[in-house]
Amino acid sequence: MKRYELLKELAKLVTDQDLVVTSIGGVKPEWYSLMPGNGTMFADLLGCATPFSLGVALNLPHRRVVALDTDGGMLFNLGALCTVGKESPPNLTIIVLDNERYEGVVGGPPTHTSGRADLERMASAAGIPCTATAKTIENFVQSATMMLSDNKTGLMVAKIEPGVFKDIPPERAKESDGIEDKYRFLRHIEQLEKISIRPRYVRE
Amino acid sequence: MEPRLAALVIEGLKRARVRFVVGLPDSMLAGVYVAAGKDPDIKYVAVTNEAEGASVAAGAWITGGRSVLVMENSGLRAACEALSRLGLVNGIPVTMLMGYRGDLGERFHWGVNHGMTMEPILKALRIPYWIIDDEEQIITAITRAVIHGISSLYHTAVIFRTPLVDEGK
Repeated sequence: MKRYELLKELAKLVTDQDLVVTSIGGVKPEWYSLMPGNGTMFADLLGCATPFSLGVALNLPHRRVVALDTDGGMLFNLGALCTVGKESPPNLTIIVLDNERYEGVVGGPPTHTSGRADLERMASAAGIPCTATAKTIENFVQSATMMLSDNKTGLMVAKIEPGVFKDIPPERAKESDGIEDKYRFLRHIEQLEKISIRPRYVRE
Repeated sequence: MEPRLAALVIEGLKRARVRFVVGLPDSMLAGVYVAAGKDPDIKYVAVTNEAEGASVAAGAWITGGRSVLVMENSGLRAACEALSRLGLVNGIPVTMLMGYRGDLGERFHWGVNHGMTMEPILKALRIPYWIIDDEEQIITAITRAVIHGISSLYHTAVIFRTPLVDEGK
């Protein structure tokens, strides 16, 4: 299955009340083109999407949180699986977009998931209660629908084909940098939660 | 850190309205992890390495949960890439509380290098920090570090040196 097709299906399941955290890589421009609102934090750090989304999910337990991580990102920070397993926030769903390679690197060298490494089994062994591996769009939609509604921490490995969607219309292209992404997400949270995170004058 | 001083750390966190503590336990600040874990008003999250901890703290912070990362100062090295990206690329602050392993008088050979690299790394990352050794400074240092993190949208650090911390035997 192709990542863009998968993300299109996910965009139908995610509402403007949910929060999404993406990894670096091709997922960022593709997800932005489908969901250009401010409910996504586009992370700029390999290995950050899952632990960052854990912080979001634990802090806002009443809100659904989706992490769009990657095989390279997850392998970079495998300990985070154990922290997620220990904390098990029921509002967190992690989707690992596994193309079995470092796609952003020249030549697309393989990651360890192209061999024997099985991230779903690792997640299960780390204590994450609901895990799955999807190899087709139908599998993906079925598992994602279930994980977003079952009130359990979920991790799904989505086996995707390599490749980047190249037909994003210019008006849907992501032009923002990390600072702009941060402000958009932060101000979105302030409005959504009716709180002040970064006021003009900071009180204790 | 003895329980009485750890209680001052917790009081400082509460005054700064921090309710999210991320930590990778170490000996110097041992009392802080225990106190944070027991406090009903604080969510304590134990992580597996400090880079992961920086990301967890950042995720909580940007959604309105003021947070700190508590660790040994060697964790600063482990967290360097995460701190660089979160701070320099996104401007999401992580306030760190660290024990000063490798301070002058360090008794463990393995700890000396922690002290050699801590301040150069903090300076290289342009992280404002306060090294404190007086219990009267604890609450003020923590509250000011948290506030400065919010106003600057950049990392801050408070480093606890002897006699505030347990050096171990």
